[in-house]
Amino acid sequence: MKRILSVLLAVMMLACTLFAFTSCGEESDWEKIEERGYFYCGITVYEPMNYYDEEGNLVGFDTEFAQAVAEKLGVEVKFTTISWPNKYMELNSGAIDAIWNGFTYGDEDGVSRTEYVDFTYSYLENRQVIVTAKNSGLTEKASFAGKKGVAEGGSSGQAVAEELAGEDKVTTFTSQVDALREVASGTADFAVIDYQMARAMVGVGDYPNLEINGAYSPDSEVYAIGCRKGSDFTAKINEAIKALAEDGTLATLAEKYGLENDLIENIGE
Amino acid sequence: MTFSQINQILFEGFGVTCELFFLTLVFALPLGLLISFGSMAKLRPIAWVFRTIVWIIRGTPLMLQLFVIFYVPGFLLGRSPFAEIDNGRFIAALIAFVINYACYFSEIYRGGIESIPKGQYEAGAVLGLTKTQTFFHIVLMQVVKRILAPMSNEVITLVKDTSLARVIAVAEIFFINEMSLLSKGLIWPLFYIGVFFLLFVGVLTVLFNYLERKLSYYKV
Repeated sequence: MKRILSVLLAVMMLACTLFAFTSCGEESDWEKIEERGYFYCGITVYEPMNYYDEEGNLVGFDTEFAQAVAEKLGVEVKFTTISWPNKYMELNSGAIDAIWNGFTYGDEDGVSRTEYVDFTYSYLENRQVIVTAKNSGLTEKASFAGKKGVAEGGSSGQAVAEELAGEDKVTTFTSQVDALREVASGTADFAVIDYQMARAMVGVGDYPNLEINGAYSPDSEVYAIGCRKGSDFTAKINEAIKALAEDGTLATLAEKYGLENDLIENIGE
Repeated sequence: MTFSQINQILFEGFGVTCELFFLTLVFALPLGLLISFGSMAKLRPIAWVFRTIVWIIRGTPLMLQLFVIFYVPGFLLGRSPFAEIDNGRFIAALIAFVINYACYFSEIYRGGIESIPKGQYEAGAVLGLTKTQTFFHIVLMQVVKRILAPMSNEVITLVKDTSLARVIAVAEIFFINEMSLLSKGLIWPLFYIGVFFLLFVGVLTVLFNYLERKLSYYKV
C-alpha cells in the first residue's frame, strides 16, 4: 500500500514539472497584451502621479495618462502596486508590462537605465530635491556630509543622497514616501525625492514640519515609461502618446494636476 | 482620513491575511501527510527524493521561495502565468506557503507516526484489520493526539508568517498598511494591527487548549 502510494506521488510530481514547462509561446509582447485584453502598470502610490482620492479611487497624472493610452490602444490597464527595488524583476518576469510611475530617464547606481529597459518618449520634467525638517540648519551642500540620508532604493535620489552624505550614510527604502516618513519622525536628517512628489506632499497635510531644502539643486531630469527590452509595446505606447499630445489630452491632464509648466513640449521630437 | 475609513482599509488587508492563513492550512495539512509518507517510503530512492525536497524547503528562506515561485516561471516561459489570472500574486504566495508549511508539517507527522509502538500495528493485525485500516483507524488517531502541541506552534507561526507575502506585493495587512496608511505618516495603525494578530492567536490558543483537553482520554 505504502509502496504504491509513493510511486503514485513520484508520478504526480513528474507530471507537475512537465506541465510547468509546456505551453511556451513565441508571441510578441504586444500580441500577448492584445490577446489578454489588458496590460499591467507597475506603480508605487504617491502624489501627484498615482494616488488614492478621498473616495478611494486611484487617480493622479500617470494614472489618467495610462488610462488614456490604454483607451487609444483599445485595451484595459491594470495598476499593480510593486516594491520599487524589484521593478526590473517584475518587468522581465512579465508580472508587469510597464514601469509607469514618474520613472526617471537616467542612471541608477552609475548604470544607465537604458541597460535594463526600453524607454518611451519622455513626457514630464522633474528634478531631485532635498527634503529636511524646517530649521534643520543644513544650509549649504557641504553641511550634508556625514548626515543620515534616506532615499528610495534604486531611485535617482539615492545617487544624489550618496553624493551629498557619503555612501555608507544613506539608507534606502522601498518607496519614496517611506523616505519622507524617516525624516518626519527624526530618524534621518534628509531625504532626496522627486520634486513632483515633494511639491504635493511636503509642508502640507501630514508633513507640515518638512520643507524643500534649497541648499543644493541637482540637475533636472525627465520622466518616461519603461518597457521590457526589445518589446514592441514601446512603439505602441509612443504612437498613443503622440496622438494624446497632439489632440491636447495631455495638456488638459497636466493642468488638472498642476503640472502644466513641467510638461515637455513637442513630445517625440 | 476618518477612523472608519482606516478600519475599512485594515479589515480588507486582514481579510487577505486570513484567507492566506486558512487556505494554506487546508492544503498544507493533507499535503504534509503525503510528504511524510514519501519520506518514510520503503523504496529508498523515493525516500531520498522526499527528504531532499524537505531539506531544500526547510533549508532556504520562505522569502526566497516566494520570489522564485512568483518571478522565475515568467523568466522560463517567456510570459508570467501569474499575470494571466486574477489574483496571480495571491496564488503564487499561496503555493509558496503551502509547499513550505507542508514540509514542516510532514516532519511533525513523521515524528508522530514513528513514535507509535509496533504493538499497535500487531494488535491491528491480530484483530484482522488490513494495514490501511490499522493506519487510519488506530495509528493516525493516536498521532493526532501526540502532535497537537508542535502543530499549534507551527500554526501560530503561520499566522504571523503571512506578512512575508508582502515581498511579492500581495495586499495583506502589512502591505496595505504600508501603501495607504504608513505612507501618509500614520504610525498608530501598526499597533492596531498588533492587536488584530494578538486576538487571532489568542483564539487559536484557546482552540488548541480545548482540543488538547478533548483528546486527553485514555491517559493513565
